[in-house]
Amino acid sequence: MASTGSSSSIAVADADSARPCDAVVGIQSYNDADTIAGVVASAREGMRRHAATGCVILADGASTDRTVAVAREIAGDECPVVAVDYRRPEVDPLKLPYHGRPGRAAAMRAVLQAARDRRAKTCVMLDARLPNLRPESVVSLIEPVLRGEMDYVSAHYVRHPYEGAITKSIIYPVFRALYGARLRQPAALEFACSTSLLDHFLEQRFWDAEGAPTGIDMWLAATAVTGRYRMGEALLGVRSVAMRPVAPDLSTALGQIVGALLVDLKSRAQLWHRVRGSVPVPVVGNVDETAVPPAPDIDPEKLRESFRLGYGALRDVWASILPPRTIIELKKVADAPPERFRIHDDLWARIIYDFALGHHLKAMPHEHLLGALVPLYLGWLASFMLEPGTDDPDAAEQRIDRLGMAFETQKPYLISRWRWPERFRS
Amino acid sequence: MSLRGEEDPLWYKDAIVYEVPVKSFFDANNDGIGDFSGLIEKLDYLHGLGVTCLWLLPCFPSPLKDDGYDISNYTDVHPSYGTIDDFKRLLAAAHERDLKVLIELVVNHTSDQHQWFQAARVAPAGSSARNFYVWSETDQKYQDARIIFIDTEQSNWAWDPVAKAYYWHRFFNHQPDLNYDNPEVLEQILHVMDFWLEMGVDGFRLDAVPYLIEREDTNCENLPETHIILKAIRRHIDTHWPNRMLLAEANQWPADVRPYFGDGDECHMAFHFPVMPRLFMALHLEERDPIVEIMERTPSIPETCQWALFLRNHDELTLEMVTDEERDYMYLAYSADPTARLNVGIRRRLAPLMNNSRHRIELLTSVLFSLPGTPIIYYGDEIGMGDDMHLGDRNGVRTPMQWSGDRNAGFSRADPQQLFSPVISDPVYGYQAVNVESEEHDPASLLHWTRNMIRLRRLFRVFGRGTIDFLQPANRAVLAYVRRHEEDDTILCVANLARNVQPVHLDLGEFAGLVPVEILGYTEFPVIGVEPYFLTLGPYGFYWFELQHRRR
Repeated sequence: MASTGSSSSIAVADADSARPCDAVVGIQSYNDADTIAGVVASAREGMRRHAATGCVILADGASTDRTVAVAREIAGDECPVVAVDYRRPEVDPLKLPYHGRPGRAAAMRAVLQAARDRRAKTCVMLDARLPNLRPESVVSLIEPVLRGEMDYVSAHYVRHPYEGAITKSIIYPVFRALYGARLRQPAALEFACSTSLLDHFLEQRFWDAEGAPTGIDMWLAATAVTGRYRMGEALLGVRSVAMRPVAPDLSTALGQIVGALLVDLKSRAQLWHRVRGSVPVPVVGNVDETAVPPAPDIDPEKLRESFRLGYGALRDVWASILPPRTIIELKKVADAPPERFRIHDDLWARIIYDFALGHHLKAMPHEHLLGALVPLYLGWLASFMLEPGTDDPDAAEQRIDRLGMAFETQKPYLISRWRWPERFRS
Repeated sequence: MSLRGEEDPLWYKDAIVYEVPVKSFFDANNDGIGDFSGLIEKLDYLHGLGVTCLWLLPCFPSPLKDDGYDISNYTDVHPSYGTIDDFKRLLAAAHERDLKVLIELVVNHTSDQHQWFQAARVAPAGSSARNFYVWSETDQKYQDARIIFIDTEQSNWAWDPVAKAYYWHRFFNHQPDLNYDNPEVLEQILHVMDFWLEMGVDGFRLDAVPYLIEREDTNCENLPETHIILKAIRRHIDTHWPNRMLLAEANQWPADVRPYFGDGDECHMAFHFPVMPRLFMALHLEERDPIVEIMERTPSIPETCQWALFLRNHDELTLEMVTDEERDYMYLAYSADPTARLNVGIRRRLAPLMNNSRHRIELLTSVLFSLPGTPIIYYGDEIGMGDDMHLGDRNGVRTPMQWSGDRNAGFSRADPQQLFSPVISDPVYGYQAVNVESEEHDPASLLHWTRNMIRLRRLFRVFGRGTIDFLQPANRAVLAYVRRHEEDDTILCVANLARNVQPVHLDLGEFAGLVPVEILGYTEFPVIGVEPYFLTLGPYGFYWFELQHRRR
């Protein structure tokens, strides 16, 4: 991996600051001078409330603003800010990182290594762009680990039913059915982990792999689940993030996050073929769940039209991934009026599994394959939104739970084809 | 690249090894002989096949009187195959694809052209240089040692007119045995190993290890001093080269091979020679006893060790480790044509031995893949290549790989006369009928089937690491065993060795309440009860079942 190698603006941790502590808070930042103060303050306060000793490890991507200085100013002696260096890749202007931060995997690895050096009982990862992060959120993440009750606590944010649809429709149900844990937001950027899990993370070979910058959060969650570590989710309320300078388009985001998931599936096939059923993941924390964010501005009719256009343009491409029976069913969906426009759960599960198989068997270049998934995903989202009642958070949760169950029920479909690829497209 | 974990030091327990003679695989420079560059070009094929480790037959400089097993320089490569830099490129390219590379190291003997032997011939008697080999003024020593190549050699001694003494050779007379009673020999062999390990090879197949030491009034095989040498080699490897592997070639009974594992301080792996002919015998007899008996006679081995299993390899189907009666049976069953016999064995490939029956090939492969050990696939067997019994020695099973229906089977663009060996061109196994290209395009081909089976096996560590317990159903045509590893991996394997449909009742009482899920189709079968479990198997049919708990 190429590196700029330039981080002269960051002071590397001195030996004294590597003293043992209870908790390490890792923050990755880049030009976040406007928001980092609140994140560091919440981290400091969260640790103080839990009477935990600790420090903030700042993995800064060579900010050109006052990010590092602000972080240091806000931190106190009891919770110093220590900057760590890490290798940052050259930014390819033609490739937009999903999270907008080059070198995310390298930054996280540097933080985890720093936590290990300090023999921290827990390491919590936070994003520097969370202006409304509360100290309670930090406590919710670290407390179960410091109590020795959990090894991995993932953030669980309250979202509008129509937000985070890639996670709802693909990541969560696949993660649940294949890895056996009902982790609602497996690609959450904020999480806490225990010492033993931290060591296990650092032993993995994926840190420098292609796709790591966008897939690392999910890969770590998958590592925790498949390593049979004790999992939990912390309710953290609504996640508001400072705007990114450039937001990725849907096709890029879906390609990156689903691509990362499919890469992970391939590397863990030995494990998920043996997982049967799923277990709920305990939830910790307590927030006002009524504070639901406003509905995003999405018109299901436009989504439906995109799906119909996709069916016309990509039917032959889909036919090289999906079996004839599925193509026929999709035609019926495309021809259906809005009130009967439904992609049923079993059909959706088989579609995603067929794409996973196509990815595994290299049925076509991965970029093309993931691109072909976009209109199908839009169709699913349209179907979800057009289904009565899904705008209600509780009803939507139950609906997604049923979708996850359908992925579990259809798992033999995937396994039988994965094991005997002659059955692909049949 | 796999995303998961650090390299496992026991990687060889889960490996699928592919045995490949470089000269036979692919000729990149069109001189008629396969080479390292050619093998590099075909690594994607091997990676796609799913094998995880390549075992390269000897690639050293050699007069090639024994297909490279007569090494004349241990620290170079044969120029026909390329250069050391080409070999390094091969290693790097293989490792990029997560393929390990084993090389053959003949440690028992050298070519008589090796400089050590040339120096020994002229060195004063009793000097260290002379004592690199085993010399005698008489050819009557060690008379209890058998002659291995009985078709070509009359004695284990040969006269050297320069040294004016006899030298000891367990194999061909142009292959003098090294003298491991001379400490300098071991020192030099360790230097040789360091040379290749430093370059990045992942292990050695140690050829002919039972014969390292000679002692009077013994058969000069498996002597205690041999194990002292092997322990010294292993100590050296463990100290300097972690995660590398030693594979012993000791064509012996399992109880005699067992010491080659030591207490986990000699070889990591050893071939299980006797099981191989018994697989063929059981199939022909249509009864399981030969397999069950030899497996039950197989002693347990240390946790870090592993058996290497194979159906066919570059040598004849050796019948040394069978009784006289069994040998007669095997000759009658599998070599009606006497030209197929060589030394104490049958020089044929898998597909001809199976009369080209897909069912039988698949059955034997399924048994190979499910017995305890690491399976080794001989190049070309994945597409059902044939052999040429008109070629001398064992060359009939070492013909060019059949890549396509093009000239020279797509192996080389050289003039056909230039090829190191003619390609197989008979109507049944010829390259026009049997080749990679056509099988790639045929989803029902043996190549696709083999590839699927390899992928499937790799999903289950139990096959490489688990225990085995044979069931004893009344129907002896059915071979059934349970493989177990850790808490949640229990596989029931059932194979019908007969050409007809067979019923079988299996005593699965200890698994009552579990659900057999057929592995290939992931099809659930009825739950196991306390009564015998009834199955029907088609001709040469086999099932692998995961025994699963009911869904939580």
